Amino acid sequence: MRRGWSNTAIGIALLAVMLFPVYWMVNVSLQPSGSAVATPWFPVNLSFEGYVTALTQQGSHLLTSLVVAAGTVVFSVAVAAPAAFALAHFKVRGANVVLFAVLISQMVPGIVIANALYSAYTELGLLNSVGGLILADSTHGIPFAILVMRAFMSTVPAEVVEAARVDGAGQIRTFVSVVLPMSRNALITAALFTFLFTWSDFLFALTLTTTEDVRPVTLGLFTYIGTYVNDWSAVMATAVLASIPAFVLLLVAQRFVAAGVTSGAVK
Amino acid sequence: MARRRAVLATVLATTSAIVLTACGGGSAPSGPVTSLRVLDYYNNEPDKTVYAQMLDACGQQNGVTIEREAVPGSSLIAKVLQQASSKTLPDVLMLDNPDLQQIATTGALAPVSDFGLAPTGYAPGVVSAATYEGKVYGLQPVTNTIGLFYNKDILAQAGVQPPTTWDELKTAAQKLTSGNRYGIAFTATADYEGTWQFLPFMWTAGGDEKDIATPQTAEALQLWVDLVNSGSASKSVVTWGQADVNEQFMAGNAAMMINGPWQFPVLAKDPALKYAVVPIPGPQAGATPVAPLGGETWTIPRTGNPDRQAKAAKIVECLNTEANQLALATKRSTVPTKSALVSQLVAQQPDMAAFSSAVQTARARTGELGAEWPKAATRIYTAVQNALTGGAAPLAALQQAQNG
Amino acid sequence: MAEGMSLALPRQATTTAWWSPRRRERLLQLAFLVPAGLYLVAFFGYPLAQNIVMGFQEYTTATFYTGEAPWVGLANYVDVATSAVFGTAVLNTALFTIGSIAGQFGIGLAVALFFRHRFPLSGVLRSLLLLPWLIPLIVSGAVWRWILDQDNGVLNTVLGSLLGGLHPGWLTSTSVALVAVVLVNIWVGIPFNTTILYGGLQDIPQELYEAAALDGATGWRAFRHVTWPLLRPVVTVVLVLGVVYTLKVLDIILGLTGGGPANATQTLATQSYHLSFQEFDFGRGAAMGNILIAISFVFALLYLRVARRADAS
Repeated sequence: MRRGWSNTAIGIALLAVMLFPVYWMVNVSLQPSGSAVATPWFPVNLSFEGYVTALTQQGSHLLTSLVVAAGTVVFSVAVAAPAAFALAHFKVRGANVVLFAVLISQMVPGIVIANALYSAYTELGLLNSVGGLILADSTHGIPFAILVMRAFMSTVPAEVVEAARVDGAGQIRTFVSVVLPMSRNALITAALFTFLFTWSDFLFALTLTTTEDVRPVTLGLFTYIGTYVNDWSAVMATAVLASIPAFVLLLVAQRFVAAGVTSGAVK
Repeated sequence: MARRRAVLATVLATTSAIVLTACGGGSAPSGPVTSLRVLDYYNNEPDKTVYAQMLDACGQQNGVTIEREAVPGSSLIAKVLQQASSKTLPDVLMLDNPDLQQIATTGALAPVSDFGLAPTGYAPGVVSAATYEGKVYGLQPVTNTIGLFYNKDILAQAGVQPPTTWDELKTAAQKLTSGNRYGIAFTATADYEGTWQFLPFMWTAGGDEKDIATPQTAEALQLWVDLVNSGSASKSVVTWGQADVNEQFMAGNAAMMINGPWQFPVLAKDPALKYAVVPIPGPQAGATPVAPLGGETWTIPRTGNPDRQAKAAKIVECLNTEANQLALATKRSTVPTKSALVSQLVAQQPDMAAFSSAVQTARARTGELGAEWPKAATRIYTAVQNALTGGAAPLAALQQAQNG
Repeated sequence: MAEGMSLALPRQATTTAWWSPRRRERLLQLAFLVPAGLYLVAFFGYPLAQNIVMGFQEYTTATFYTGEAPWVGLANYVDVATSAVFGTAVLNTALFTIGSIAGQFGIGLAVALFFRHRFPLSGVLRSLLLLPWLIPLIVSGAVWRWILDQDNGVLNTVLGSLLGGLHPGWLTSTSVALVAVVLVNIWVGIPFNTTILYGGLQDIPQELYEAAALDGATGWRAFRHVTWPLLRPVVTVVLVLGVVYTLKVLDIILGLTGGGPANATQTLATQSYHLSFQEFDFGRGAAMGNILIAISFVFALLYLRVARRADAS
């Protein structure tokens, strides 16, 4: 037990260093609006101006961000998981080509995709829509999810998959009932990062919306970042508020990354 | 099995629809004009509300509702280009004045003369910024420029007068530097904001953007290098934008700063801070200060629908009426572009005096090079950064940038 | 259990060679891949092709409106490769990538290993580690700019009181700026590496460690013989993706230094952005961007070849 607590101490020290900028962000958000230069180390003059502004103006944007992020996770994982499984376990002839294509897709600069999508969306009337944003943000999620889940799924021993097939399960049954439960860590990690990528996406939010109806909070943040003048406490307050729901979701998800999920299956 | 096939088919259909229609083009709507689309970058307060009210009022006067899209400043051009390629440009388009040339070369804008509008009585620099190949493409209601702000209390304490020449500027900055406080702060960043702040020094010394590797420009750059090397200006000027410079000034870390009137509302938040503005000094006494021209201009894109364009022209005209110019100027701390109105503004807002006089002799950034300006602007800030970080002597830095 | 049993007779009376069980099996397998494949082609194929073509054209703002883009062959590539800033950009990109990956992966792995065994609050701490990823990059960039400010920044204040007289110009000195940007990028990348590697570590069965301990292999030897081989697929993904993402990094550098001072932090990605969106020369910007994609591609190819050889041995 004592060894456990010394680890906790090290962990806290580590996080203190890593999270100092986050602390500074919260610090600035609690200051009266204005200069970030003369900000004292501790919010002596506590002020919630920034939060009031952020809540009243950005509430609906936060909700939009949440809905889009959740939708993207569901869509991306649904499309990527079967593909990852296929690439990990099937002897499909074009598997390596597909894998490479996925990797190349990660090399394409986002602005190139945004420009192409803008033209397409204008035609299809998908601008300013949650569905459109979900499809677009999946460009962050699907390739990444395929690559990560494939890596995890390739550690599921082939014998386990074979055993299920010998027992008479079809491909889909094998996938759904045997592999997916064993790939819990893979699914959670992929879902986690898809959520994070989508949550912090600014490019598609900017390009694919023209009104305030469907506006993610990353774009809403820019209301306070002007060409010449910045209202830092409102910016930081919005950023803090935006992180809270996401953080809660992450906490919950991280609990599910369990140890040794594949252990016991091979015996 | 059937359900999965249906899902597959839907996915196939959707994605092929996306791919196929990506190649299509847009069409212009027809019928009586009841609403107009406006695109601008005033997405912060107070500008956002000021323009929202004014655009709505102008719309009402002309029998249209305004559908307005306000985007962050740095994203405007990307949006304009996307809309140009999908033929969905707005009816009224606001552009930062140096970008007008770029967009005018595309042929996407209609000359204002097509609608009987003209910039009569406007400051010459403003007209030149909006002119492309002899025709005027935009009307700009208000403008601004930069000046030298100084902290009255700090200068009084040190017994320093506001400088009027470069030598006085150097001595004053030296005297005012003490402890944590630098004598002067300005913007020398690796972007067009840095170029913007260097221009008054370059132009007043006789330098020119067509060829920056001249002794006059080198003299201006030497001034900046001297200020930084002597410790009168922080080395961090290469990272400070104009907003950061203002924060340094307000925190008392800089006794003087180069900045613009848009900072007035921010400075007003600290009533204890007493400041004043003078024109930026020139190399010798009596030199005519030539400052760069700021502000945004309103243009009329070619949307292919003559009725909409005519209505759009009415909106642009409405924004530029004398009453509206004065209203915008007083609400946004800017200078009206019609020279006749300037005295009225100064009467109402005396602290705009320094900027108002500077605007009359101000120069458009795109005045000489038109659409080639961005390359020259890049060369300027590259040379400035190189010299300020000690990479090369001013003239050598300018030559490297000019040729590289 | 009747779906696709390879030994049973097909149920349908009307069997043709097309619907033979093996064929159905194959089609089913492909069906796993088809949704992803379609999505990739639609959302990546067209933009990528367009970008490659743009590198060979004179693409300006006018092109967006008129659609005319005269073919100039390799002129854009020659222009870009012979420009004064190209050599600097390539060197900076290399240093930035190597430094970032070494730091992110090394520290990320160390932290993942640290968290492997449960201790009080380990779950909460692990989740807190992901907080930096929840902050918009523009906000992180601004906060780091204040922290790294030469005169008033927190870092220099702390360093000054600890080491006395040391005031490095983190973002203002051409020799230090790249280091500063790499450090911030490492900070951004640690949560990514730690979380994925942690997930991979958790998938290694505890029994293997117990068996190894019985054989006398603990600590470093257990790592070499149990952890590392089983972690390899995940490590490959993390490293390759890490390099691909780092090569593309734009917002952090723009937020911290804008590519300056004096091009000390100008990379191929930032230069490509500058050419396209600030000088409006999209042809050259695309050419620069394509050079970057080519570098990514070659790296991925080489790495996967090396990894495959290592796996085979």
